[in-house]
Amino acid sequence: MSKILVYLPTADGKIKRSALEVLSHARVLASKNGLTLEALVVDENPSVFVETAAKYGAATVHTVQNPLFKQHLNAPLIQALESAIKTSGAKFFATPSMEATKDILGALAAKLNAGVLPDVASFDIEGDAIVALRPVMAAKVLQKVKSTGNVVLVSVRSGSYDASEAPVSGSANTLTFEPDANSIKAFLREILKTAGTGVDLSEANVVVSGGRGVKDEDGRKMLEDLAALMNGAVGASRAVTESGLFPATAQIGQTGKVVSPDLYFAVGISGAIQHVAGMSNSKVIVAINKDPDAPIFQYATYGLVGDLYKIMPILIEEIKKIKAA
Amino acid sequence: MKFSVCIKQVPDVTAPIQIKEGQLHQDADRLVLDAYSASAVEESLVLTEKHGGNVEVVSVGPEKAKETIRKALAMGAESAVHISTDDNASYDSLSYAKILAAYYKNHSFDVIAVGKQSQDTDAGLTGGMLAALLDLPFATNAVGLEADPSANKIIVKRQGDSGQEMIELPMPCIVTCSNDMNDPRIPSLKGIMASKKKPVDTKTLSDLGLDAASLQADMKTQVLGFQSLPQREPGKKFEGDATELVGTLMNALQNEAKVL
Ligand SMILES: Cc1cc2nc3c(=O)[nH]c(=O)nc-3n(C[C@H](O)[C@H](O)[C@H](O)COP(=O)(O)OP(=O)(O)OC[C@H]3O[C@@H](n4cnc5c(N)ncnc54)[C@H](O)[C@@H]3O)c2cc1C
Repeated sequence: MSKILVYLPTADGKIKRSALEVLSHARVLASKNGLTLEALVVDENPSVFVETAAKYGAATVHTVQNPLFKQHLNAPLIQALESAIKTSGAKFFATPSMEATKDILGALAAKLNAGVLPDVASFDIEGDAIVALRPVMAAKVLQKVKSTGNVVLVSVRSGSYDASEAPVSGSANTLTFEPDANSIKAFLREILKTAGTGVDLSEANVVVSGGRGVKDEDGRKMLEDLAALMNGAVGASRAVTESGLFPATAQIGQTGKVVSPDLYFAVGISGAIQHVAGMSNSKVIVAINKDPDAPIFQYATYGLVGDLYKIMPILIEEIKKIKAA
Repeated sequence: MKFSVCIKQVPDVTAPIQIKEGQLHQDADRLVLDAYSASAVEESLVLTEKHGGNVEVVSVGPEKAKETIRKALAMGAESAVHISTDDNASYDSLSYAKILAAYYKNHSFDVIAVGKQSQDTDAGLTGGMLAALLDLPFATNAVGLEADPSANKIIVKRQGDSGQEMIELPMPCIVTCSNDMNDPRIPSLKGIMASKKKPVDTKTLSDLGLDAASLQADMKTQVLGFQSLPQREPGKKFEGDATELVGTLMNALQNEAKVL
């Protein structure tokens, strides 16, 4: 029986929600196509994640442990994944698309001489192939692609599937891993963490994003206040991450992150295709812009034509009233 | 320092596009230098201006890719290599990486800079694939780059998921560049004139010991077609004074969209 292996990236002591989304979809495909579903965790302390993986349907959870993995270096992770794929005998390998996996996917595919489909919006298994839809041309159209090979790798955009539980009793399978010290030539000097609301942008149910219309710290503070009230995260357009008003990690779009929250506020954002590429799958989009012809209104569920500096304070007060009730 | 920059010619993603019978049609055949490639060229120029050395650009593509190569030369790169492919040939990322690897096997360099993805496909695979094929250390999604030639290393500031990572790499190595790294210079008139005299070394696949048929036979990924995005329900646009607007929005979010 062919096997689908889902690699579950972890951060801050949790499996990423986007990884559980991929695991949930892989479980559906496994039962539809008669495949074995297994999961993989690579971490300095992987065993704590076995229970969660089992809750989402993975009976076998391969674990690879090494303190090296704390360092965010690609070489040891590529080695660990390559050896886990070979040892498990997986035919299909699926993982969420995020900076940490974009970092390793190409090299991993080349080392395995595998087929690979990066950053897909949906995927299915057809025989020995993966067939997927990928947004291309700055996410203006979908490209249908098919990849085959002894192994096929796929990475999936966050929010493409719902994470749904289907508990099984899980057992860990510890894989031995000897990093090849000679091949680890890079050295991590430091990680510059960005302070945020603490809510992970790609996992937030509400995202409040600012663009060039947000002129100053006072403006940004209003967005942060609204996000905090709604337990959401703050996003931004490239114009204001470039200017330094918003942190680089907040950038949403083609170069930045892809988000698909239940509610997205685009505040003082014009709606360039490169920004829309990262947020057009949001369920409800609210746009606040003083230019009635701004392209963002073509995507907005609710568009408010007006000055954000007049609208935001009133909006914040109204949301406060609801939250207090 | 010797920088070699892989650059890609891409269709202008802002030009109107249509899908007819599953195929993509661009109204205007507008081809441009990929923005991420342009940032890789820019950063290489900045570092050689600072530390000495030179910048070469390498592009795989049909004859018309030469226009894009000229653009990079006009920005300031000294020389170019054009690995020419048939007009209608299209390859997957791994094939392009194999072609580039075949070139680099016989050429020396300190840093290969490439775009972290390209504007048309956003795949972001080629840099990492090339690193694996050449067995070189690499870092992706660079938003800053510094060099320390005397210590034979570069320091990459990479944008990670929740912060920035400062990574030291020994040379030779590969860096994939974000357009958040810099604003690529616009070629000056002088640069454009000079570019016409700069050397472009054209190589065929067979010069590199490769052939199109076997590359094609080894391809693992096929494009089956194109389709439109799922249509969003048309939205509503409101005008009025701020208090009115917020009232309307609150009502819609609570009673219609039910997201509050
Ligand atoms: C290869 C490439 C990749 C890119 N990737 C990204 C990406 O990942 N993310 C991204 O965001 N961009 C990206 N861009 C940039 C993108 O093209 C736009 O330049 C950018 O999104 C513009 O940001 P903006 O909407 O904030 O600014 P602008 O386009 O300047 O829009 C500002 C808006 O604010 C409105 N405004 C001004 N004052 C007020 C006020 N007081 N009240 C209300 N409204 C007001 C204006 O009417 C205007 O519509 C990319 C570009 C390229 C070429």
